[in-house]
Amino acid sequence: MAEAIQKKLQSELEKYQQMQKDVSKSMSARQKLEAQVTENNIVKEELDLLDTQNTVYKLIGPVLVKQDLEEAKATVAKRLEYINGEIQRYETLLKDMEKKSDQHREVLSSLQQEYQRAQGLAVGKV
Amino acid sequence: MAERNKMNIEVPQGVDRLRVEHKKVVQGCEGQIHHWVKVKGDYETLEDRLKTLPDQVSYDIMVPFGPLAFMPGKLVHTNEITVLLGDNWFAKCSAKQAQKLVEHRKKHVNSALDDLHKTRKDFEARVGFTEDLEKLSGAKGDYVDIREEVGSIEEMVSKGKQRVALKPHSKPKMEVVVKIEEEEEEEDEEGSGEGDGGSRRVLSEEELWARLDELEAQEEQEEEHHRRFDSADTNGNDDTTSSEEEKEGDSGSHHCVNGHDERSKGRAFVPHNGSQLNSTAQSTRDGEEEEDEAEEEEGDCLPTIYFSHTVEPKKVRINTGKNTMLKFSELKEQKQQAKRKKKNGTSNGHSHHGLHNITTPTDLYRLFVDVKNGEPIPRKSILKSRSRESSVCSDTSESSAADFEERRTFGRTLSHDENTHSDTSDGITEEDSPTGVLLHPTSSFQAFSGTVVEKEPILLSIPQFTIALPALPTIPERKLEEVAPEAPQDAPKRVSKFKAARLQQK
Repeated sequence: MAEAIQKKLQSELEKYQQMQKDVSKSMSARQKLEAQVTENNIVKEELDLLDTQNTVYKLIGPVLVKQDLEEAKATVAKRLEYINGEIQRYETLLKDMEKKSDQHREVLSSLQQEYQRAQGLAVGKV
Repeated sequence: MAERNKMNIEVPQGVDRLRVEHKKVVQGCEGQIHHWVKVKGDYETLEDRLKTLPDQVSYDIMVPFGPLAFMPGKLVHTNEITVLLGDNWFAKCSAKQAQKLVEHRKKHVNSALDDLHKTRKDFEARVGFTEDLEKLSGAKGDYVDIREEVGSIEEMVSKGKQRVALKPHSKPKMEVVVKIEEEEEEEDEEGSGEGDGGSRRVLSEEELWARLDELEAQEEQEEEHHRRFDSADTNGNDDTTSSEEEKEGDSGSHHCVNGHDERSKGRAFVPHNGSQLNSTAQSTRDGEEEEDEAEEEEGDCLPTIYFSHTVEPKKVRINTGKNTMLKFSELKEQKQQAKRKKKNGTSNGHSHHGLHNITTPTDLYRLFVDVKNGEPIPRKSILKSRSRESSVCSDTSESSAADFEERRTFGRTLSHDENTHSDTSDGITEEDSPTGVLLHPTSSFQAFSGTVVEKEPILLSIPQFTIALPALPTIPERKLEEVAPEAPQDAPKRVSKFKAARLQQK
């Protein structure tokens, strides 16, 4: 009885740890996205400061490719939107994962209690 | 106690960890601030360079060639600057435009710096607080933990009802564990004063008194439920007789820590206060709660003062030389006698009588004009010599005002100390022996050294009158001092006015 509970406990623990890792991964991805958002915001603002007379380049690999100012602005705006959308997605994902991990935690704690009780009984019996 | 100790041990650990974490955050903030300050410096040099670069069409410079070599060369196109806008975007601009971009970026850096500064300040403050908390829990500082143990719920419920801050400056009763330094000092003083008394407790006797107190408390509670007094005390104290029961100290509904509440409690009821209290000043009334549990010093944690609130009975606290509170019941009076506490009481209160109102003009007449006795004594003119007053309010009952009126109605030419307002029950007790009171001034009383309290409105005292009538408690002190003890103390609570008048006139 105690061993069965112990095994269950182990498996639950592993699942919980996996969940935690996923959660942390999503969190770091989200943080990266946040940094990108800020950066793109700055780029957008600086592009607004420029006028058409300046040439805008985009670095693609080792090549600087000339771009149109307007095009660049549009691209940056689109990129911003995309990043924001990604952030939202990650947020919902994170919330779900948090909930799941909470559930797992509860299961884990209840299992632990059972296990301890069983342990106590076993000790008593012995 | 063990739990407290354990908690105390855990608290510093937790607090320590909290402090460490706070400090980490602060350090992180500082690191970031460093970084951003550097960036800002870089941008400023860049700006300077941009300003000076277009001055010449070309510059002669030593161009770095690999990591170890330089080569003489020229810097041309001094006004064309390719700026990295971020995210792999470049823009070719003039020096001036580049300058503008740099300014824009500097703005960002500054805002980031401000945020960091703010968070750092916040966390530094937090660190300070946690350090204080540590000091607190470690009892190293000057903090004293004041704890109150809450007594029975029933009493509290009843108290709560009574607690109505009817006056602007009356305080609602709170049972709070307060950690206020000023009060700490107060408590400290009081506690130290009480400490001596506590050491002198006689347990067996006190147990008896405690038992008596409980019984009285029960009595009063019943009365209260009967009467439904509203506390009209300036201090928002509980009105009633039930307040006496609180004196046990276990159920505190009235928080007297602020006190210099004027309610001098019938210390007599608290056995262990005993003579100790006599020496203490009125202001230590509130300290009576402390007495119940003497100030406790815990070596490893804050010195803690435990007290419980007890509702102070509203009694007229006129120090008329009698240091007893008029109690409605005989028991109380006896206890008062036994316990002789000096009361520098100033009546706080306004008599609180909830139930009895003047319903007919005759009531008014009875109260204000002594028709029966043929002695129409106007209220104002009642103030007479102190001895009379003291005799009247000798019991320092809060209903002294009512008592006075009653006396008046009964033809007493007592100096009406309208200052005293007492519980109805108290007033009643005083009413019992009006004549006796008159005849025997403070022969055995101490000199009056009380403070005069403002008069209570008549209306308030009127109900007292009606209530007082039935309650003719005997005041043991009075009996001792007075020649003519009055009606039986154990009279039923309600007696018709006429009967009471008759009794009084006897």
